[in-house]
Parts: sequence; structure tokens; C-alpha cells
Amino acid sequence: MEQTCDDIDEMFSNLLGEMDLLTQSLGVETVQPPSPKESNKEYNFTVGFKDLNESLSALEDNDLDALMADLVADLTEAEQKTLQAQKTSSHYPQSEVTQSSAGVCAASSYGYKSNVPVTTTGRFEDDLPPPPPDPAFDLPLPPPPPEPLTQEELETQAKADKIKLALEKLKEAKIKKLVVKVHMNDNSTKSLMVDERQVARDVLDNLFEKTHCDCNVDWCLYEIYPELQIERFFEDHENVIEILSDWTRDSENKVLFLEKNEKYAVFKNPQNFYVANKGKNEGKEMNEKNKEFLLEESFCGTSVIVPELEGALYLKEDGKKSWKRRYFLLRASGIYYVPKGKTKTSRDLACFIQFENLNIYYGTQYKLKYKAPTDYCFVLKHPQIQKESQYIKYLCCDDQWTLQQWVTGIRIAKYGKTLYDNYKRAVQRASLASGWANLATVKPAVTAGSSLTDITGTVQANGQILQSILPASLEAQKHTEMTKDKKPNDVNGCRSVQPTSQPQTYQNKRASIKPPPPQRRSSAVSSTPLLPVQPKHGSAVFTSDPVTFPPPPPEMAEDLPPPPPDFCEDPPDFVPPPPPTCSSSSEDLLPPPPPPPASVSNKPLPVTKKVVPLPPKRQVNTERTEEPKSMGLPPSGGGSGQPDLMSDLMKALQKKRGNTS
Amino acid sequence: MAGLKTASGDYIDASWELSVAVEELGPEAEPLTLRVTGDVHIGGIMLQIVDKIKVKQNWSDHALWWEQKKLWLLKTNWTVDKYGLQADARLRYTPQHKPVRLQLPNRRMIRVHASFSEPVFRAVAGICRVLSIRHAEELSLLRAPEEKDKKKRKGPALGTEDEFDLSGVVLPASAEQQPFRGMPAHFSDSPATEACYRMLSVSWTGLTPEHVLKMPRPSNLVEKAQINSRWLSSSRSLMQQDVRENEQLWLRFKYYSFFDLEPKYDAVRITQLYEQARWAVLLEETESTEEEMMVFAALQYHINKLSLSADPTEPAGEQGMDDLDSALSNLQVKLEGGTSTSDMLENLTAIPELNDYLRIFRPRKLTLKGYKQHWVVFKETSISYYKSREEALGEPVQQLNLKGCEVVPDVNISGQKFCIRLLVPSPEGMSEVYLRCEDEQQYARWMAGCRLAAKGRTMADSTYQSEVQNILSFLQLQRASPDAPAAPDAEAMGTQWLVSPRYQKKFKPKQLTPRILEAHQNVAQLSLTEAKMRFIQAWQSLPDFGISYFVVRFKGSRKDEILGIANNRLIRIDLAVGDVVKTWRYSNMRQWNVNWDIRQVAIEFDEHINVAFSSVSAGCNIVHEYIGGYIFLSTRSTDKGRGLDEELFYKLTGGHEAL
Repeated sequence: MEQTCDDIDEMFSNLLGEMDLLTQSLGVETVQPPSPKESNKEYNFTVGFKDLNESLSALEDNDLDALMADLVADLTEAEQKTLQAQKTSSHYPQSEVTQSSAGVCAASSYGYKSNVPVTTTGRFEDDLPPPPPDPAFDLPLPPPPPEPLTQEELETQAKADKIKLALEKLKEAKIKKLVVKVHMNDNSTKSLMVDERQVARDVLDNLFEKTHCDCNVDWCLYEIYPELQIERFFEDHENVIEILSDWTRDSENKVLFLEKNEKYAVFKNPQNFYVANKGKNEGKEMNEKNKEFLLEESFCGTSVIVPELEGALYLKEDGKKSWKRRYFLLRASGIYYVPKGKTKTSRDLACFIQFENLNIYYGTQYKLKYKAPTDYCFVLKHPQIQKESQYIKYLCCDDQWTLQQWVTGIRIAKYGKTLYDNYKRAVQRASLASGWANLATVKPAVTAGSSLTDITGTVQANGQILQSILPASLEAQKHTEMTKDKKPNDVNGCRSVQPTSQPQTYQNKRASIKPPPPQRRSSAVSSTPLLPVQPKHGSAVFTSDPVTFPPPPPEMAEDLPPPPPDFCEDPPDFVPPPPPTCSSSSEDLLPPPPPPPASVSNKPLPVTKKVVPLPPKRQVNTERTEEPKSMGLPPSGGGSGQPDLMSDLMKALQKKRGNTS
Repeated sequence: MAGLKTASGDYIDASWELSVAVEELGPEAEPLTLRVTGDVHIGGIMLQIVDKIKVKQNWSDHALWWEQKKLWLLKTNWTVDKYGLQADARLRYTPQHKPVRLQLPNRRMIRVHASFSEPVFRAVAGICRVLSIRHAEELSLLRAPEEKDKKKRKGPALGTEDEFDLSGVVLPASAEQQPFRGMPAHFSDSPATEACYRMLSVSWTGLTPEHVLKMPRPSNLVEKAQINSRWLSSSRSLMQQDVRENEQLWLRFKYYSFFDLEPKYDAVRITQLYEQARWAVLLEETESTEEEMMVFAALQYHINKLSLSADPTEPAGEQGMDDLDSALSNLQVKLEGGTSTSDMLENLTAIPELNDYLRIFRPRKLTLKGYKQHWVVFKETSISYYKSREEALGEPVQQLNLKGCEVVPDVNISGQKFCIRLLVPSPEGMSEVYLRCEDEQQYARWMAGCRLAAKGRTMADSTYQSEVQNILSFLQLQRASPDAPAAPDAEAMGTQWLVSPRYQKKFKPKQLTPRILEAHQNVAQLSLTEAKMRFIQAWQSLPDFGISYFVVRFKGSRKDEILGIANNRLIRIDLAVGDVVKTWRYSNMRQWNVNWDIRQVAIEFDEHINVAFSSVSAGCNIVHEYIGGYIFLSTRSTDKGRGLDEELFYKLTGGHEAL
């Protein structure tokens, strides 16, 4: 048990180290911080917040999974960026890149780094053949061959790129990250990495991807202060790290991921807030056009219109237990009340509070806690205040609807148009999600497919060497991601299928993956021919995966030591074996999808061929990564295989789980 | 000319004599008489007139005005018969454009030629073109208040108006009615016109409290309704509404629906709008709370200060361009290489610090301790204090992170008290700390640092120095009072005029200034245009904003009530209490009619809600036009290329009189 824990820790740090190296070697901006960051992160774990401060080893498995998914995503991102970056400088002969990247990094990591491009070549050789025979491939690809650049231009461009990267990195280096534990509504938790630039919207998007929820606009991050019994949703534009850093170290505060209709109710039914008749809370209907008009009028003018709102509320008196009823008015400039014996004309109003440096929270169960007249309470306090204090203002409404009006009104007064912009973005996100709903199962395929188009496009153009690595590595990561995705789900009990019978699970997956391709084909988009690739490809890998896992083939051991040059030769050796398995698997698997026309049926073959190299590589890599570890060599062995490392991690995790159970 | 003459000198055909007065011949001159027949067209008559006058000048702007019918005979191809002219018709041959004296929203007078023959809607458009104000449809003309009114309340203020009239009179370019668009090239003709443009686009800084005090202030809704009785009808010409040459008129934003305010093109428009807003606030036409008033005061102070040095010839929005430029050059530097990064690093590391002995006081319950001297170090956004300078290497007595804290000045210059009150948030609540500085200079430096830190910025921020200057200049304002205790005027000059008379009375200057200073810290970094826009926005967020009041009598009701007309709704208001009784939105409006005979406006809303009222305080055509005007304005599209549908405007606002 301890053993495995150590394993995980070690692997984790390896992973981080590797990513770091990868980042450096590729010379691309990454989300990953350089290695010094790691310690920083640990600091956050241990010192940050009580619920977050468990050290990595103490994290629950699923947390770890989630984290790893995060990391993988980061990697993917990094790689995609690399792809882009490389595309811009796609004219470098491969060797040049290798050199330059090698130049950046330290000698110790040289081997690892040089591996990357080298495998590339290998891959490239494998990959290249398929395209030519396949006409379908050539056609859709718009191959505008970039104008060949002169040497000087290349140099200046390269220089500019480097400078950009350096600057980016400089910035990156200062970025603070936190691992945040988010509570789901099924009482499970997910841990995810949040960097200090991320606003709530980014984190939500992140969670959408992890949870496969419906992505509707009501989802929000919700903070709860158990001690003060207050809670509120983060506005989408708020910086998450900033909010969290106001919490104390021993805080019991929590972040939840849940749906709250109140969040954007005002935009769904603005008439309830803007046109509502006094004292009536009826949900009057309004047609969409009028709603839109009303919203535009209220939020898109030179200044935002704050709903007219006034009425008697109970105010908890400072330091006392009594609640006093006062007549309050909401204005854009703050909350006012009518002093005794005065009228409610503007000049007589006394300012109760202004919204700068204040957040609004719901107070829960205040009847019990503070003897409030009702449970419909809201609280205004400086975000940094975490304990009971005279500087916290407690207000109590007569009913739920009044509460809702006040909270919404105050938010509008405080945030203004930002709120509406947030909403529009959320709607956009939601519609995107619903648009994808029917394709949800192939989501990964879509992205991979599109990146494939890009890649093949550039291959045509001439930058093949560099890009060709990507389909494979990308996809490889995808797999790991998929596996990863699955496991957390399993752990959470969201999915009943346990990985015990792995092949079966994969089969299921395959089945679910299959349906989409026909759709695509029929839609006949320019990229369509490529899309089927991914599912098949994925399935192929999945089938091969289980095979790979059980016994790490020992033959590969020789490959480890060999320096880059050997590498290029390796893949060809392996090419022969996989095709049969793959083609067979693809044949087994492919039939179910609708019988494609002749030309289409042609396609799958090259495609599968293209995929072929992967499985062997996996084997190689799994081999390799494990080897060095046993030999005590840290990350250098990883070679081109982050993904493989990941799968190793997974294995270790499984082992650990097995041990614990 | 036409017809046959008998021996007795009579004509025996259908011709008859038409008399036409021509102003150019002098007031005493006899009207010209022309012999015409029914089928002569108006153009022919005008030719005859010019022939007869024998004065060489440009007559092209002249046209015939039929006095009894109050009608311009503008269709030169129409015949006399078609117009129904008879021998008894009194005609005047007179220019269509005449000078008027306009009081602009900034209360300055300007002499300008306006069209007396076109509907006011167009006349205003013409004036606005001269003044380079876009979206003229939002403005209109009012009659100046009655003379006796002025005598009674505005007498002294009148003098000041005349004084500024001198500068306002000069706009010769306007006489030519050239439709200049875009940049007001016509202002660059002479120094006089340039001065005029400055008057238009830079707000006036010479305001004194008297100006405010002497302006008529509406004290209740009924008085607020008065002004709305003076609007001229947009669908009829000035001449038709008995406006005389050189008469004083007010130009104001009538419809509170400001479309597409764009600092780049709207220097004059924004300035005038700001001025109208400022006066509305100062005269309490739009009521505000004390806190809001302080923000308005701070913005005015800021705008005034910037206006003193403002160069009107610089196009507004320059600021934005500068920003863009600097951003671009920044980017360039960044891309160009390593040197900048090292600079950047240096800059990052070289954050200025403040170190001083200050006296610190932490109010606590049951404490008898007062201010105690500490060595205080202000680094980045934190203040640390130590028992002495020597201990500064060790642990501080306390460290306060000022991010998100509240900074309040507590200054009494005559008492030489320069304190900064800090409300520092912490998980336990807010802790209160007073820093007492020795003198103004020290205070200004620390205060500026605290303010920046409260916003999460350090003293390395580019605004630090200007913040220090701001604080010093504000202290200067306050200093003025103890120095000249004998001259209350000078004292009041400081900040009193920035607030409405009510608050002038409520606060002593030395109370007022710190409060304005406090509000000022939030706006101190705005550019001139931004500050004006902020003022306009704050004005727009007032609940009373944009409501035009009318005293009306609702059908079936026995007492007068107030009808408020806003850009999106009608509001029924209790006259006595001022409470809103009912609100109707235009979006629910089905149709509205005016019964011109009984002067009643009837409106039908969705769900068969019918409202009818007659206007007491103003002509019902004004009410009608206000509602129609808002509906018209809401039809404006964001498509800038499209002009206005003027016909629609008349249709919506004109009633039967337009037809």
C-alpha cells in the first residue's frame, strides 16, 4: 500500500517534471508552471485550505484521477499550442527544430527531448504513405501551400517567436495555481486545478467537460460559509482564486457545483423584475420579443437601469438580537432607508450601504441562528470578512420573492452590464452544448477529427514532418483521457460498469462511438471524410490496449537505451504486426456502422493503417517508462509517451485500488 | 401688368392688387403693391417684387409669408388661386432664416440663424448641424420664461448671461447655413468662432454659488411641470408659432433617450448633455441623495479642473487613441526583445516604498491609549509598523494589507490634523486604524499610496504622482477657508457651488470638502470625456431621471394629478405625495388618440386598459408630441447609415395640425 502510494507520488512528480521538460523542449507556452512551481503547488496543498491542504498522497483516488485528467488536458493543450506554433514556423526542417529545442534544455534531459522529434520522424514515415493512395483525403484538404519564406524571414520569424515565448513564459512563471475541491450535488467531489487567471466561467466550462452535464445557464459555482450560514453563487466574471484567497486557512467554506435558477432569472423573465406590479409577485408572461426589448432597454443603454425596488425589510441591529423593520430603497448608488419621520424623497434618504467592496449572500436558517422573523435573509459583507462581525449586515425579507428581488436588484446595481454579458456567454455555452448533445459520445472524435484535418492539410503543404506526430500523440492522449474520464465516473458510482471486465467496457464504448460516423458522412462537410477516423482509431487502440496492459513485452527493453537515431528505426519494425490486429479489429468493429459507399469503405483502411503505429508504440513506451523507474532514473525514460506514463499511472492507481479493496 | 385699364383707371379684367411688405425697405415703408391675377404663380410674384424693390442683394432666402393664415407660400409653382390668396391678404416678403438668441444647455447664449419656415424639427436639425451636435431629434426648442418671471427671480443672473452673450454672439459661419458634417471645420474660420467652439465643447469653469442660487429651482412636481408647457411644436415652423426675430429661445435635450453617445464625434453633444445634467442635478430638477450629490460634486470638480487646461481643438477620444498607441508601442517593444523584459523586471522589483515615523491610533473599546509613534513602512500594498526604525528588520508590530480596504481622509487644516482613517478588512471583520501625518506633503504621499493599495495597486502605478497632486490641490482648496475667513464668498468658491443649494446650506465648506474629496478618489483618474460620460451615466441612474412632468386630470378623476412621461413608460403620480400610482409601458400600448376638441389624450393598452386624461399644465399637443416622440425615437435603428424617417415623426407627433 505504502509502496503504491509512493509510486503514485513519484509518478506524479515525474509527470510534472516531464511536462515541464516537454514544455521547455517544445519551446511553447504552456499552462504548466516550471518545476519550481511544483513545490509551490504543494505549498498550496498543505497550507492553502483545510479541504485542499491534504497532500497529494492523501487525496482520494478520484481526486487524483480528476487531477490527472486536468494535467492531461494541459498536456493536450500544450501540444495543440505546439502544433500551432509549429505551424507558424512550419518550414523548419525537422532537424533544426530538434536542435533548437535541444539547445534550450539542459543536458540531462536531452535524451528525452530529442526523443520527441525523433519519434516524430518514425511516425511520419509510417503515416505518410497512407494519404497518397486515398483520394478522398486529398480532395477535402484545402492545400494552399504557404509561400516559401526566405532564410532571413525564417530567422526573424523564429526570433520573434522565441521572444514571444520567452515573454509568455515569464508571465507563466508567476501564475499561481490552486487545486480546488468542488462538491457535486451527488455528494461526490472533484478536484481541479484553477489558475489565477481563471474566472468562474472558465472553471464552469471545465466542470462541464468533466461532468457531462447539460451545461445550461443555471449551473454555477456556489460558495458556502458553514460558520456564518451564508452562501452565494460566484458571478461568472469573478476571479475564482481571488475569492478563495479570502478564505482563512482553517476555513470550512466549500465550493459547490450546482444549478441555481436564481442566477439568471432576471434575464429569463425580466418582466418579473422590471415590470412587476407593486406587491405582486405573479410570474406574468411576456413574449420573447418584448423581453428582449426590455433587456436591451435595461442593460444596453448608456447606463444600466436598476429595477425599482423599495419596501420594508428587517434589519438586524448591530450586535443585538433584535430585528428592526425599516423602509429600504434600492438605487444604483446603494441601499437607502427612510429615516424616522422623513419622507422617501431622494433628499431625505439616508444611505444604508454602498456596494463597493461588498458581496451579497443568502443567509440560511437565520430564524434559528439569529431569531430572524423569516428565513428569507440576505447578508452584505466585505468578501474578506470570514467571521461574525459588526461589519456584516443582515437583512430579512417577508417572503421568498422579495428576497429574490432584492438579491437580484443588488447584483444588478453592483455588477451592471457585466451580469448581462455573463448571461449571454452562458447562453452561448449552453447552446453549444445542446448542439453537441446528440454528438456527445463522439465529442473527442470531433476535436481529433478537426485537428486531423489541419494536420493533414499541412502535411500536404509540406510541413508534414512535424505535424504528423500530432495525430498520434493527440489521440493517444485522448484515449488516456477517455479512460480517465471513465474511471472517476466509475468511482463516483455514476456509471455502474466497473473496469473489471475491461474489454467489455471498451466494447460498449465502441458501440456508443459508432453511430455518429454515418451522420457525418451524409452531411458531407469538407472534413467529413476524416472524421470516421477517430472512432475507429480509438476502438482500435482500445482493443489493443488491454492486450498491452497485462504483460509489458520485455523485448522492447533494448529500445530504451538507444539514443534518438535508433528510434527512428524502431517503429518500422513494429509496423507489420499491428496492422493485422487493427484491421481485424476494425473489420470486426466497423461493420456495424452503416454500410458506407465504396469510396467511403475505401477510406477506413488507410485510416486504420495510419493508426497502426500507435499500439506498438504504446507497448514500447509502457515498457520504457517502467524500466527507468525500476532503475531509479527519473523522468528521462518517458520518451514520447506522456500518455503512456498516464496509463501507467492508471495502472498504478488500479493496483492501489486493488490493494485497498 | 395684367388686365386692361379703363379710362377711369380701373381694371376690367380679373386682376387685383396684392400688397406685400418688404422689411428691407425699412419699417416705415409702404407695402409694395403688385397687380396680379389668380393664375400667377408665387415664383412670378416674387420676381415682380424683386424687380420693384430695385435693391441689389441676394434674395434667394426670401419667401412670402401670409400673416393672417400664418402660412409660408413656399411652393413657388402654385398659383395665387391655389393658395386662395385674396386682395385682403397681408403678405410679407421676408427671409426664411432669421437670427434667434439661443440659450444652450450650458446656460450660455448664442446667436444663430434658424429656419423660420421649416418645421421646428428641421430648424433644430439645422441649428444642431451648426453646433455639431448629432442626433438633433433628441433636442428641441422652448420659449424662454416670461419676462416678469425673470425679473422676479433671475434678475441678477441675467447680467451674467449678457456678459457671456458677447462671446456667444459670434457665429458668423452659422449665417451661411452650410451643412458641415463631421469635424466642425466651420469653427476654425476665425478666433471668434474658435472661442465659440470652446464654449460649446468645454464646460464652463467660472461658475459661482450665486449662479446656482439665483437660478429658478422647481420645488415641487407642479413647478417641474411648468417648463414643459413651453416646448414649441416640432411640426410647425417658428414663424407659425409667433417666434420673432432675435427672440430668446432655449435649446435643450427634450427626449431623454440618448442614442449612440460616441466621444469621438460627440464632443459638443456630450458636453452639452453633461451641462444639462449638471444643471438638472444642481437645481434639483432630478433629485439625488446626499451620497449621489457628493459623487456629482466630485465629478464636476474633476471636470472643471481638466477643463481649465482642455484644448477643445483636440478631438475627444484622443485619450483612447493615445492608449491604443501606447499599447501598440508597448507591444512592439515587447516583441522586439529582451531588453524590455529586463526593464520590466527592474520595474517590477523597483516598487517605491514609503518609510516614515507616523503616529498610529487603533481605536478599541475601553482603551485609553492615544496616538503612538511608530516606524511605518509602506511596501507594495501593505503597511507594516515597528516600534522604531531600528527594529524594522525584525517582526513588525503589525502588518496590514490594504487591498480592499476603505480609506477615509480625516483632515482639519486649521487644526493641522492630517489623518488617514483606514478600515482594513480581515477575516474577523474590519479593523480601524488611524495614521496621523505631520504635514500636507507627507499626508498626500501616504494617502495616495493607501488609495492605490486599496485598489490593489502599488505606488509603482503610473497614477501615483497625479494622485499625490490631486490630494495636494484639494488640500489647497480647504486651506483657502482659514486664510480668508472674512470673505465668505471666497470660501464658498471652494466647493460650495458643486452641490445644490440644499446641500450648500446643510454642510459647512469644511465638512463638504472632505466628503467631495472622498468621492473624488474614485473618479480622479478619469479623462475629461470619461468624467462627463460618468456624470451622464450617474444622472441616468437616478430614479427620477428622464421623467417629464405634466399636470393632468384623468378622466373620471376630480383632482389634478401628475403624469410623468419617460422614454419607456407613462407614470401616474399623486400630486400631493409624489408617490407613483401606476405605470404603463409603451411596449404594452396599442394606440393612442387625441380628441382635439375636448383636448383629451386617450390611450389604449394591452388587456383593454384604457386611460384618458386632459392636460392642465401644458397644451395637450405637447403631451401628445412627447409620447409620440419617444415612440419615434425607439424606432431608431443602430444602423448609422440610415437617416431618420421624418415623415414618421410628424405622423407620430403632429396630430391633425400637421396635416
